[in-house]
Amino acid sequence: MDISKLNEIKEKAIERIKDAKNSDELVEIRNVFLSKKSELMSMMSTLGQMEAELRKEMGQKINEVKMNISNALDKKVQEIKELELQKTLEKEVIDISLPAKGKESGGKNPFFVVRDEIIDIFLGMGYEVMDGPEVELDHYNFELLNIPQDHPARDMQDSFYINENVLLRTHTSPVQARTMEKKAGKPIRIICPGKTYRRDDDDATHSHQFAQIEGLVVDKDINIGHLKATLELFAKKMFGEKREIRLRPSYFPFTEPSVEVDITCANCGGKGCNICKGTGYIEILGGGMVHPNVLKMNGYDPEVYSGFAFGIGIERVAMLRYGIDDIRKFYTDDVRFLHQFKKKI
Amino acid sequence: MLVSVKALSKLVDLNGLDGEKIANGLTFAGIEVEEVKRIASGTNLIIGEVLECENHPDSDHLHVLKVNLGDKYGVEQIVCGAPNARKGLKVIVARVGAKLPEVEIKKGVIRGVESNGMCCSLLELGVESKYLREEQTKGIEELPKDAPVGEENVLGYLGLDDEILNLKVLANRSDLLSLYNVALEVGAIFNREVKELEAPAIINGESDIKVGSNTYRCSQFSIKEIRDIKVKESPEWMKQFLMSMGVRSINNIVDIGNYVMLMTGQPLHMYDADLLPKKELIARDDLTLDFVALDEKTYKVIPGDIVISSDAKAMCLGGVMGSLECAVTEKTKNIYIEAASFDAKSVRHTSQRLGLASESSMRFVKGTNHFRSKFVLEYTANLIKDLCEGKVFGDVKEYQSEEERDLIVESSTERINKRLGTSFSEKEIIDVLERLHFKVEDKGNGKFIAHVPSFRLDVTCDADLSEEVIRVLGFEHVKSILPNLDLTVGALSEEQKKERLVREQLLSLGLDECLTYSLVSDKENECYSLVNKDEPYVILNPLTDDHKVFRRNIANSLLSVASYNVSRQNKNLGLFEISNIMTKNKQEKHLCIVLVGNRLDQGLMKQERYDFYDMKGYLESVMTILGIENSRYKLERAKENLDELHPGRSADIIAQGQKIGVFGELHPNKLKEYDLGKTSALVLEMDLNALFNLKVGLIKAKPYSRFPNVTRDLALVLDKSVEARDVIKTIKTIGKGLVRDAEIFDLYEGGNIGDNMKSLAVTITFGSDERTLSDKEVNDLEEKIKFELNKAYRAFLRM
Repeated sequence: MDISKLNEIKEKAIERIKDAKNSDELVEIRNVFLSKKSELMSMMSTLGQMEAELRKEMGQKINEVKMNISNALDKKVQEIKELELQKTLEKEVIDISLPAKGKESGGKNPFFVVRDEIIDIFLGMGYEVMDGPEVELDHYNFELLNIPQDHPARDMQDSFYINENVLLRTHTSPVQARTMEKKAGKPIRIICPGKTYRRDDDDATHSHQFAQIEGLVVDKDINIGHLKATLELFAKKMFGEKREIRLRPSYFPFTEPSVEVDITCANCGGKGCNICKGTGYIEILGGGMVHPNVLKMNGYDPEVYSGFAFGIGIERVAMLRYGIDDIRKFYTDDVRFLHQFKKKI
Repeated sequence: MLVSVKALSKLVDLNGLDGEKIANGLTFAGIEVEEVKRIASGTNLIIGEVLECENHPDSDHLHVLKVNLGDKYGVEQIVCGAPNARKGLKVIVARVGAKLPEVEIKKGVIRGVESNGMCCSLLELGVESKYLREEQTKGIEELPKDAPVGEENVLGYLGLDDEILNLKVLANRSDLLSLYNVALEVGAIFNREVKELEAPAIINGESDIKVGSNTYRCSQFSIKEIRDIKVKESPEWMKQFLMSMGVRSINNIVDIGNYVMLMTGQPLHMYDADLLPKKELIARDDLTLDFVALDEKTYKVIPGDIVISSDAKAMCLGGVMGSLECAVTEKTKNIYIEAASFDAKSVRHTSQRLGLASESSMRFVKGTNHFRSKFVLEYTANLIKDLCEGKVFGDVKEYQSEEERDLIVESSTERINKRLGTSFSEKEIIDVLERLHFKVEDKGNGKFIAHVPSFRLDVTCDADLSEEVIRVLGFEHVKSILPNLDLTVGALSEEQKKERLVREQLLSLGLDECLTYSLVSDKENECYSLVNKDEPYVILNPLTDDHKVFRRNIANSLLSVASYNVSRQNKNLGLFEISNIMTKNKQEKHLCIVLVGNRLDQGLMKQERYDFYDMKGYLESVMTILGIENSRYKLERAKENLDELHPGRSADIIAQGQKIGVFGELHPNKLKEYDLGKTSALVLEMDLNALFNLKVGLIKAKPYSRFPNVTRDLALVLDKSVEARDVIKTIKTIGKGLVRDAEIFDLYEGGNIGDNMKSLAVTITFGSDERTLSDKEVNDLEEKIKFELNKAYRAFLRM
């Protein structure tokens, strides 16, 4: 037994470890060089017969070789494991373009997108949201809004009647009267979104059913400037900070003065184009100062209180905002239409 | 209301204003001008004279003309197809380069002959055919013999150089259905002088017609008698005026009636004086009779209709239409002209009932001036004298039941500015009101009294005055300031919040949110009345039978949406809608969900038919987010609508002992009816209000055990009719505190299980808050559960 033999074993082992291709080979190498039956171990068993001095020296040498082989093996095992994992990972490559597993939101009819957004704008300004019945009494729909029997304005809104006194509301304005009744003389700041009905034949721009958002503020010292500022804020939030509004005199029986509100055309920025018919402006809503008769009839002293009201057409806003050309699309619910409106911001 | 700028210019100084400017001024003063259009147009026009007219060598209808265009342009050769082209005719020529409404004229060769221009008809200049005589529409326009050759201002020569404003007159400004009042308005807006309408009374004879009214529906009734008139064609100026205002010329007397109405806003009616049964015209509203009107049709007159009677016979339906019996014709010599005031409501009812609407009835419905008939009749008389050679004029006979009152409105600079949010001076405010023909009395300290002009029926209070001020001075003077209001909690109500939560949840789960019409047909309303079976509201005056009933459930509407989509190859659908429902005795808020086709788990790669349990999942998800625990509602097998729902795959949703909703698979027969194809479809409808009204407490966090749980699986074989929820309930009851949960994880039928049997696999979770359970404890409990399940359901373990 000599050192050269030890070195020979070591070199041989290292050589084989180096050439090993897989973990099975490594197990075998470990068996051949480090098991109890291995040459190295049998050399170890002969140590006992040696002189103390030599025994110590040889023991150290054998251990050294054993450690060397063992370390080399461990290192190689690690390498091969890495390699094998790498291979597995390569095999596990998938097509990342295949369809996702259904986690998609549904599409929200743009009618609701706009309705919810308008509501949120006014909630932010401290408004309450009121509801009112769609089957309504003539009393609330007309009488209390300064539209008595045979007022010419009743011609403007040809209505669906259930009987002489009951009809489908032609606007959300009856909620004004209902709210004033409920608030009994206290200040009011409300909006009311809801469905309304008029006897119009359906076409691209008319619908027997449509929806409005009514707004009403009643307090002391309210004037048109307040209405203007409120609607300006609404228009900018809804259509963009660059939009400006303009008021034009108009007529509604329940407001005086009454206004139509135009907004600068988003398409051309006010220069004039096809969409705004060259005017640079698009009509978006109507409003005005609550008529003193309406305040009086609903229990508010017009000498003390004043107020403004407005009505926004939900479909109209949605059509302008999204470039929708036919109001009937809101009521058809083609999913190819709905699916375009999944974005929630 | 159509307004001719040319006619307007005769009443108010329009120097420097064109149609566009006037339209803009009116629009921003609250009188919207919807359109400005030219009555005729064309460039490069000139008057020419046909010197020669030869037949085209290569055509059987074309002519080759030599047309003299005067010194400047000389003689041109023009090929013309008009049958009336002939030598000596004075014609309108559109020279090469002319732009006409429809065409541009180019130099051309027509069948081998050179042509330099076109001879025109008025149609080609854009004049509507309704204003033209038949022969004018068939050939080129024949100008008078004295037409000046070489004149290039052809439209001016023809009186067609006019712009027409189309005014959208709003319901409160019926006074603007009068050209003269439009002139007053334009004068006020642009601060221009307006001419007075003059009508000196013409009276040279006696009139013995008796006039009166027996009804409040006719508050004023006036007649002027004129004798020896000649009915003939109107002069050109009259024809042109009417054409520009959108009315066709008939003859001088009819034209005068229309002219006066357009000018003053007061509708007139004319009677042939010799055809009245009696020398009286009395308004009454108590007659029932058959009325033969001018249009030769017979109408039923009932009490409430205003009838102008003579000897109890109907001569006219007041404000609506005259009778054939005493109509003015070309033979008429002597006439009675009526200017009256009729109740708007009655005229509206009569004209709506009989389907007779006219320019006159429209004016009465919107309101006329009740105190101007004398002036209007004299104004008419002056025209008749000029145009119809009327000879004998009686005095105006008038019945008048009202007293003209001076309407005054008190206000002040401060009040007006306060309403408007402006800071106009007293001078500015008073100036505007005076321009609008209010008479203003200054009361000092900014206070004043405004006398409202009698034609302004719409001004009654100082809010109205503020509108007058701002519409003339402009809304740009209004300062835009947000109101300084008390802080409030702007927030949705509890119910509104819950509705939003449900909508957002269903959207997040992938359902599409729909919107459908509330009005449905009778038949549709009967389909899928799953929740509300109350008596519906029915529309008295529907537009179509398709939209006649206010629906009491949504399901049919949403199934129709599904049907629409499936027919367009959108076959896999998850839809929902929330809508208010109103019936005679109920006010509800319904949620409806419809599922059709497949649930796409990974696009089309992994898809599975929607089934009952998908819908159940949506239901539970809604319940969970609303905090409604499953102990507060239960499902029972559906008992109704079993011809519309699969009887074995549908359930009623019961809460607080009430049925609040239903869901299930569509009955196979219905799949076909809705054209949904060979697939599966499910529907759910429930009343959300019933859910929203359930009180829900705050969450109280409970401690959970520190000790590990143990799970055991059981595969049970039992009768098919045993419901899983009973098995689970039994297990939990027996397991008392130690069974933490029991869940079904598999269902197997068929194979070697045996008919009418099924295998349910249950996983039971055991656990304790105090200790780790020993194997023995769990084993004993499991044995006991098996024993009890066998006793209760004859369930045995699957081998």
